Amino acid sequence: MSASARQVIVIGGGLGGLWATLALAEAGHRVMLFSLFEVMRSHSACAQGGINAVLDMKGQHDSVQQHIVDTIKGGSYLANQPPIQSMCEDAPGLIRTFERMGVTFSRTPEGLLDQRLFGGVKHKRTCFAGASTGQQLLYGVDQQVRRLETEGKVEKQEWWEFLSIVKDVDGVCRGIVAMDLRSLEVRAFRADAVVLASGGLGQIYAPKTTCSTNSTGAAASRVYQQGARFANAEFFQFHPTAMLGEDKTRLMTEAARGEGGRVWVPKDPGDRREPLRIPESERFYFLEDWYPSYGNTVPRDIAARAIWKVTRELGLGVGGADAGESRDRVYLDLTHLDRNFVSTRLGAILSIYRKFAGQDPLETPMEIFPAAHYAMGGLWVDYEKDPTRGGMKAGSPRNHATNIPGLYACGECDYAYHGANRLGANSLLSASYSGRVAGEAVASYLSGLEQGAEAAPAALFETESRRQADLNQQFSRPRGDQNPFRLHRELGALMTTQVGVVRDNAELDAALSSLRELEQRFERLDLSESSRWANQSLAHARQVFDMVKLAQVMAASARARDECRGAHFKPAFDLAIPQGKFPGDPEFEAYRERWKANNADWLKTTVAEYHPDGPRIAFEPVDLGLLAPEQPRDYR
Amino acid sequence: MSASIQHPHFLLRRLHSLLGLVPVGAFLVFHLWENSQSRFGATHYNQEVVGALQGLNYLLLLEVFVIALPLLFHAGYGLLIIRTGRAEPLRYGYVRNGLYWLQRVSGVALILFLLLHVGLTRIAGLFDPAISADLFGYMQQALAQPPVFALYLVGVLLAVFHLANGLATAAIVWGLTSSAEAQRRFGWVCAGLGLLLAALGVHGLLGFLIAPTAGGVA
Amino acid sequence: MHAEANRQTVELRIRRQDRPNAAPYWQSFVLEARAGANVVSLLMDLREHCVTKDGERVDPVAFEHNCMEEVCGACAMLINGLPRPACSALIAELEAPIRLEPLPKFPVVRDLMVDRARMFEHLKQVKAWVRIDGAWDNHERAPRISPQDWAANYLYSRCMSCGCCMAACPQVGSDQAFVGPAPLAQVRLMNAHPTGRYDKTERLHAIMAEGGLSDCGNAQNCVRVCPKAIPLTTAIGELGRQTTLQALKDLFGND
Ligand SMILES: Cc1cc2nc3c(=O)[nH]c(=O)nc-3n(C[C@H](O)[C@H](O)[C@H](O)COP(=O)(O)OP(=O)(O)OC[C@H]3O[C@@H](n4cnc5c(N)ncnc54)[C@H](O)[C@@H]3O)c2cc1C
Ligand code: HEM
Ligand code: HEM
Ligand code: SF4
Ligand code: F3S
Ligand code: FES
Repeated sequence: MSASARQVIVIGGGLGGLWATLALAEAGHRVMLFSLFEVMRSHSACAQGGINAVLDMKGQHDSVQQHIVDTIKGGSYLANQPPIQSMCEDAPGLIRTFERMGVTFSRTPEGLLDQRLFGGVKHKRTCFAGASTGQQLLYGVDQQVRRLETEGKVEKQEWWEFLSIVKDVDGVCRGIVAMDLRSLEVRAFRADAVVLASGGLGQIYAPKTTCSTNSTGAAASRVYQQGARFANAEFFQFHPTAMLGEDKTRLMTEAARGEGGRVWVPKDPGDRREPLRIPESERFYFLEDWYPSYGNTVPRDIAARAIWKVTRELGLGVGGADAGESRDRVYLDLTHLDRNFVSTRLGAILSIYRKFAGQDPLETPMEIFPAAHYAMGGLWVDYEKDPTRGGMKAGSPRNHATNIPGLYACGECDYAYHGANRLGANSLLSASYSGRVAGEAVASYLSGLEQGAEAAPAALFETESRRQADLNQQFSRPRGDQNPFRLHRELGALMTTQVGVVRDNAELDAALSSLRELEQRFERLDLSESSRWANQSLAHARQVFDMVKLAQVMAASARARDECRGAHFKPAFDLAIPQGKFPGDPEFEAYRERWKANNADWLKTTVAEYHPDGPRIAFEPVDLGLLAPEQPRDYR
Repeated sequence: MSASIQHPHFLLRRLHSLLGLVPVGAFLVFHLWENSQSRFGATHYNQEVVGALQGLNYLLLLEVFVIALPLLFHAGYGLLIIRTGRAEPLRYGYVRNGLYWLQRVSGVALILFLLLHVGLTRIAGLFDPAISADLFGYMQQALAQPPVFALYLVGVLLAVFHLANGLATAAIVWGLTSSAEAQRRFGWVCAGLGLLLAALGVHGLLGFLIAPTAGGVA
Repeated sequence: MHAEANRQTVELRIRRQDRPNAAPYWQSFVLEARAGANVVSLLMDLREHCVTKDGERVDPVAFEHNCMEEVCGACAMLINGLPRPACSALIAELEAPIRLEPLPKFPVVRDLMVDRARMFEHLKQVKAWVRIDGAWDNHERAPRISPQDWAANYLYSRCMSCGCCMAACPQVGSDQAFVGPAPLAQVRLMNAHPTGRYDKTERLHAIMAEGGLSDCGNAQNCVRVCPKAIPLTTAIGELGRQTTLQALKDLFGND
């Protein structure tokens, strides 16, 4: 290890964190990798469908430019364009690197990388490994990091929970405080830089989410409460095709539609026949009907809202409006496809459906509904624009830096690449890519760092770890009748109904006050567990508290944005595309003008800053240097 | 780099497997064939079969190096192997797991059987030449007693099982069979072989009882 | 599917242990199970209101879970005596009372949580990775892999290190050096990769040492309990062949 080697802490061992770890270790630094559990159990393992990269394997003249445009438009222009440009440009190289690591990408009959179709695009651009792509990618980097571990370059701290960062008097991040989830020991660790890669926050909607139970957003919330800015929190993606479950809604990948799956409901809502006995003419393929050009592969926000409309507004859910639970279901049908083809390309989800629903998707259509899936918003991160090439400047220490010096963020916990809506298979890409970029940026930051954490006074660390230990004490002391697990359930129910697929200002106001009330109920917390060893209630209670804090940011940001954009949908402000009218038609052009006027008001990044009384919301401009917002999203 | 030959572990385990197959397994097959000749009467057995063998040059060397030492090594190392596992035949009622357990049980049982059996035949023969002179008569007398017969029956069946199942696992160990299908197929072949050997063995046992005490072919 | 119509109560008998070296003890709980409930979802319900069958209030049961869809491997435990992921163990398909015990062969941390660190040490021991020069793009196109080879390799790449196969293997024990079936299958996978095979000899030597392939006794429980249907015994057979050839090379020289 070179003399200039420094100590870096990476929090999170999903794709983002592992890539950051790789980049840093390869740059010669010592990395300490923190995770709540063995890193290979991170949520990234759940990703099914695939990862986007333009390889143009299918004779469709796909281009990186098109990937950039699709991503920008898919996100309703809300994302800064230089990072998107760099990400799309680097995607093919990333796939090649994964491939070298041994990731078992699916092959064409010629033995080359296969690609499939995903939502919101017209080209087959998604590389995949059966229907367990995230798992394969995660294991690929996990294996590399394990190798570096044996070479002494990486030290893992699994079963440690990050609690807070340690800042010096200048506000520079000098380390972290974490808790051993077994002994409950609270300890400070010095680091010259910290990378947060703690993943998503879908558990704020539990149980109606496709996310792992550890995707709480608590870690991001903690640094937010310590002064890191949180951007675009109102943009949260609901995945249209999840199978309902009372403990979790399990995802049926978008690839199911990309490979030819069709979504439909019986035309007659009272139709009680077995789905396959309903003739074609009596089925309503509403996505194909409403969006003939993209059909079943419209982007997620559109598909989710269409399903919402069909079930909640038109009362056409399976079994009709009075079918109780199942009124919220539509069919996702694979039965018309070749069984062999479906089995090899979607095997993993077929077995999930068989195991958890007890039915075979090859025999009968699956029943699905939208569920909370992915946070487009996240910690605000910077980037440096390359003045000549237009993308992010490679190796700039500003890339993926939060507003706290020395603290970086990457993966799903940052906000950088997806704007108002993420395209399918773009987030395994952004998680991996941003991890690598963050690692490189930290390496540059370190080379310019005059004084490392060794110079920071010990008192800083002692104070912060004492504060955290006191918080633990406070949470552990029974003070009333509030159970942390029940509080979590209430949070999920509240967010699902009031900050969900469709939003309304009165409801958002109600949500905000309920969230404040929820926060206060922590004053009366009772863990009903006194154990000082592997006390999961304590860790969970602390997470739920920080989730409530983050939920407030989401609700407040949603309240502040009076428009419809991507996943954020407020019908009161909908500028509906005139039906049957296309560019050139006067009605459409009038719509375009209204749309542009709305952009002038609202095409800006929401930035929340912590304040004890509630989040302070501000806005900042979006870099639109590459593609000006001239074309409204139109998937008809 | 040549870790595998510097490291005795792998070679010892393969030697165990090999010895179980080649000298010991092969001896068992031959031995069961030899004893199946009992069916043809004392003279044939004592003179043509055992006699021929007893007439071999360097017989003792053969017995020591081809039978005794390999068997001792296989049994000794087998005991060590048994100590490294903890079979749970009841919790995991799968066929292969049952066979795994039985392979170990039969191994231990065979040690006991062999101590008795070899002690009462070959070793006793060293002290009492009369025994070696008329092994047929000696065995016939012994096997006429139901407990001894039962002991032999169990011993033969266990030995045959142990060899047949050992053949199936050895095929996996050496990499002859890899796919589940191939392993299943070869498993049936071994089962067939085992049945054949069992028939041969039982036939031999019965031969002592039904064959004429003296004289030629029945 | 009306949730109310399908409510039923079930009894869970849980083997608990407060600390790594504490004495285990059993407790029974009676819970309401919703339609489609699984063992993890019941344990989650239990956290909220952890009262035994006899009405005693006790500390919540510690257990592990993440994905809830059988892909992270966190939740494996003994359910009615057999190792399996708890999230895919549907209550309706289990015989009541349901017995839950921590996954054997691994040290208990608390209650149903075990420490599977050994599995990851074993992955290091067998060098279960492809050694790459660095995680950067070298602009070389991915090598061709026939769809048939892909299909065979893919099976092994789904191992989620849940440890069920280790728990069921009679040759794996906390006092034994045997690396167990899952890491062996990874050797099979890495040896088949176009560049992973450059380190084949090293990996084979690793599994020819103490605790390696030879310690497998072909009980084949591993392949029966693996929730991902990973062909572990096929891997073991293929490695048998590879090690046989490797030993010949080692003994007689390479070419
Ligand atoms: C069901 C599902 C399917 C998906 N499918 C696809 C797909 O097909 N294509 C696609 O592109 N995207 C997909 N996504 C999105 C994608 O999986 C995620 O965005 C991505 O994996 C996030 O990776 P990450 O590294 O940011 O976080 P994660 O993989 O979630 O990792 C988070 C890490 O942070 C650690 N951590 C968290 N908090 C703490 C703390 N306090 N202290 C210490 N460590 C902590 C955890 O231990 C974990 O290691 C899917 C998402 C879901 C929910
Ligand atoms: C059908 C039943 C059997 C009969 C009738 C039988 C008979 C005999 C006899 C007569 C001898 C003495 C040979 C001599 O002294 O030269 C002998 C030796 C021996 N038998 Fe058996 N046997 C039987 C089964 C078995 C089995 C199942 C085994 C187990 C492997 C076995 C192993 C041996 C061994 C190791 C010797 C000593 C060989 C030597 O050193 O010459 N026998 N047997
Ligand atoms: C009749 C004499 C015997 C014969 C013919 C014989 C033959 C064999 C064969 C062919 C195998 C298979 C090896 C493999 O799987 O690679 C085997 C395995 C084994 N034998 Fe024997 N054996 C005999 C006696 C014994 C004895 C006396 C013991 C003592 C305990 C013993 C213990 C074992 C064990 C434990 C195995 C299993 C090894 C494993 O699968 O890991 N055997 N035997
Ligand atoms: S091989 Fe199967 S049982 Fe074993 S750890 Fe992997 S997934 Fe689990
Ligand atoms: S159960 Fe164990 S003994 Fe071998 S075949 Fe499987 S590893
Ligand atoms: S919770 Fe992930 S496998 Fe069960």
